[in-house]
Amino acid sequence: MLSKSVIEDVLIEALSTGGDFAEIFVEDKFNNSLLMIGGKIEKAVSGRDFGIGIRIFNKTNSVYAYTNNSSRENLLKVAKEAALALDGAKGDITLNLMKSDIKNIHNIVLLPSTIEKSKKIELMKRAYFAAKNYDEVITQVTVRYLDEEQNVLIANTEGLYVEDKRVRTRTAIQTVASRNGEMQSGFYAPGAHMGFEFYEKINIEDYAKEAARIAKTMIYADYCPSGKMPVIIDNEFGGVIFHEACGHGLEATSVAKGTSIFAGKIGEKVASEIVTAIDDGTIPNAWGSQNIDDEGTPTQKNILIENGILKGYMVDKLNGRRMGVKSTGSGRRQSYKYAPTSRMTNTYIANGKSTKEEIIANTEYGLYAKYMGGGSVNTSTGDFNFAVMEGYLIRNGKIEKPVRGATLIGNGLEVLKKIDMVGNNLGFGQGMCGSVSGSIPANVGQPTIRVQSMTVGGRKGE
Amino acid sequence: MDRRDLINKIFEEGRKAGLEDMEVYIQGSNNFNLRVFKGEIDNYSISKEEGLSFRCLYNGKMGYSYTEKIDETSIDMLINEAIENAKVIDSEDIEEIFAGSNTYREVNSFNDKLENVSAKDEIEFIKLLEKEALKLDSRVVSVPHCIFGKQSLYTMLVNTKGLDLENKSNIAYAYVNVMVKENDDVKTSSKYVISNDFSEFDYKALAKQAVDEAISMLGAESIKSDAYPIILRNDVAANILEAFSPIFSAENVQKDLSLLKGKLNKKIANEIITIVDDPFMKGGIASCSFDSEGVATKYKKVIDKGVLTTYLHNTKTAKKDGVQSTGNGFKSSFKSPVSISPTNMYIEKGDKSLDELIKSIRKGILITNVEGLHSGLNTVSGDFSLASSGYEIVDGRINRPVNQITIAGNFYDLLNNVLEVGNDLKFALPMGNGFIGSPSLKIKELSVSGI
Repeated sequence: MLSKSVIEDVLIEALSTGGDFAEIFVEDKFNNSLLMIGGKIEKAVSGRDFGIGIRIFNKTNSVYAYTNNSSRENLLKVAKEAALALDGAKGDITLNLMKSDIKNIHNIVLLPSTIEKSKKIELMKRAYFAAKNYDEVITQVTVRYLDEEQNVLIANTEGLYVEDKRVRTRTAIQTVASRNGEMQSGFYAPGAHMGFEFYEKINIEDYAKEAARIAKTMIYADYCPSGKMPVIIDNEFGGVIFHEACGHGLEATSVAKGTSIFAGKIGEKVASEIVTAIDDGTIPNAWGSQNIDDEGTPTQKNILIENGILKGYMVDKLNGRRMGVKSTGSGRRQSYKYAPTSRMTNTYIANGKSTKEEIIANTEYGLYAKYMGGGSVNTSTGDFNFAVMEGYLIRNGKIEKPVRGATLIGNGLEVLKKIDMVGNNLGFGQGMCGSVSGSIPANVGQPTIRVQSMTVGGRKGE
Repeated sequence: MDRRDLINKIFEEGRKAGLEDMEVYIQGSNNFNLRVFKGEIDNYSISKEEGLSFRCLYNGKMGYSYTEKIDETSIDMLINEAIENAKVIDSEDIEEIFAGSNTYREVNSFNDKLENVSAKDEIEFIKLLEKEALKLDSRVVSVPHCIFGKQSLYTMLVNTKGLDLENKSNIAYAYVNVMVKENDDVKTSSKYVISNDFSEFDYKALAKQAVDEAISMLGAESIKSDAYPIILRNDVAANILEAFSPIFSAENVQKDLSLLKGKLNKKIANEIITIVDDPFMKGGIASCSFDSEGVATKYKKVIDKGVLTTYLHNTKTAKKDGVQSTGNGFKSSFKSPVSISPTNMYIEKGDKSLDELIKSIRKGILITNVEGLHSGLNTVSGDFSLASSGYEIVDGRINRPVNQITIAGNFYDLLNNVLEVGNDLKFALPMGNGFIGSPSLKIKELSVSGI
């Protein structure tokens, strides 16, 4: 992607004003996206993202610059401009780049670029018809297909010199149900760090029907009552509760600056003792996995909370310097346009002992959130919110009726302590996570859990 | 290779491949971004970026491709991919490469003075902003985000039908987020300024707004679940309008994804509501003389005294509806196909101040912040349920801060339930759907969930 001698010259130039660390990130990525509305392909775009990011540290000061122009002359100019932001003198630099081969644990069989578009469209049509024919209340189905092949080269003045290839594919199905002048929607979007063989491993029709079922259920649903109540959150994408309520607060990005509610709490009990939470970037072919992070550090399995005790944070290089700890392989970025920072990969609550049936049967009154939408958090206060896409009222240990329009709000530290039942049916859901280093693919996961009491934002009193 | 030469080469190679109608759209920018933390520059980022988007008609269908590697090595990929993409389009909607409007109104959104502001002055400004916020009150414990950014942008649109347009603009912004603490109670507040006139960047005013609001939220508690009269403060109303702005897109209407279908020329809001889309607004971030298809932009009222007067169109949706494009055919980036987006869109202001609106409420809530706009609302159904905070109003006065509540309702109902419109028009930080503004709005009632 770039010759070793150019990389060396650029890194040396970057340290010309006293920086103590420099890094170069080269990205060459091919994207392909198709949009189908009403069974017809409306939009098709493909293209190539290409650029180079140069980062320099001087202790905990950091400078970042990027460019699309990879000529030696331009890169040296960009490195020099970036270096000028630090006004020190050049030290002694000996650079010894050693190309290291990384262990590939995410086997890719069918590169998306080798698959004809017609095959991808065939897949989309299968999804479209499965959803559209599900029920006559389904009035519109939108299917988005995406794939990407991202090639990266990362080198730094510590001698690191690695390349990695990340291949991801995803299909998002949105359904609309209409009735009496109202509309409700359903959504399902399976994805993986995998090639086109992903679609041999899953049946896209099942996901499409599920998206249609959600919209149909919600169009017949009543508005959700509001107030505090016990909430059961189902597995898979339900894990977004941990992602928002706690995950972001465990990223070194806010911990290192002391602006997270979890800062300084290692070894303390922060959650109910039945809660163990993990961020694991090594799960083979999972949506949020990578062999190495975007700073070239191998990803790893990080235990965040073990039996309720805070064990660790997710750390990148720069915040690791601030905190005096090593990177946990958590440095991620959307593209060369962003300086990396600590981010989640595949984050989940580990299996507990209860069955989903037991959890529901043990709940006298409350909300059962079967599918969650997205959410967000204020890491300084821990206040979070997320949307319930499909919910039900529970009465006397039984699912009573579907309810629509619910949002769950709470505080991360409080909600973790109020988890009083954890199921044994761990599953994962795929999402895009937005933060200071852009939007990145992240898996969320959990078994079915119950939170003793949460504020449910609905539209009706009871 | 010079840009013009490259474009000519692309067209030449395209013709060899049998293409006639082709277009190249180039967007480039120079960006500068600064973050400070505890008096030190925490991040200093500079970049030059450029992207080239190609589109062409092939057998009557539009194919798209793009590249960030802008040189001859990309030409084959651009042409081949665009043709392959055109081949798979089976929508019957007619798309075309546009030959140009008769006239274009001049819009000046590039301020030379901004380019001349030195990095030294910008660093000083952002450091002073943090320092000021920290010293205003002893309860300010941290300034987690203190950011200054500046961007200059140019676009070039050249096609084989003779269209040749260029535009440049620049903008700067500052954003501060403060964290205050009293005992174990932590609150935050964020404020921003966005303009291409650096003289409007007043660090003292910005710091004071953020600190005052954060301090005022200390001790906030939830409130009893019920339906309450609500005031959506201007910035909150603008954020909500922005999130729902896709409902005005003719594309969403035609594809059965907006409940505004069939509502043209009908009353959809209280008659005190007028929504304007003004691409010529002075100081508007989205001001421009042409859209991404090269159509001249125009001023229009989308809702006039409660009546829906037009959808927002590009050439494709206009042709389908038998109308003229409203000049809203924008690409969200050079990587994207032409879609639809507002320019500077806002609710026209009324004549009451926020204080007067507050005075008119016996018991209600002033909402000053909402969270979860990307997830807690549904543009298809119009439903929303948003984590919120603000102040309880009792007998026309602010009584106490309120948090850990949600407000819920439906946007279509809300448009009809606006009782009064304030005189304090403010624009939201752009999130990708144009530059959207609103004055404070007094709403008959919304469902509030608390304790």
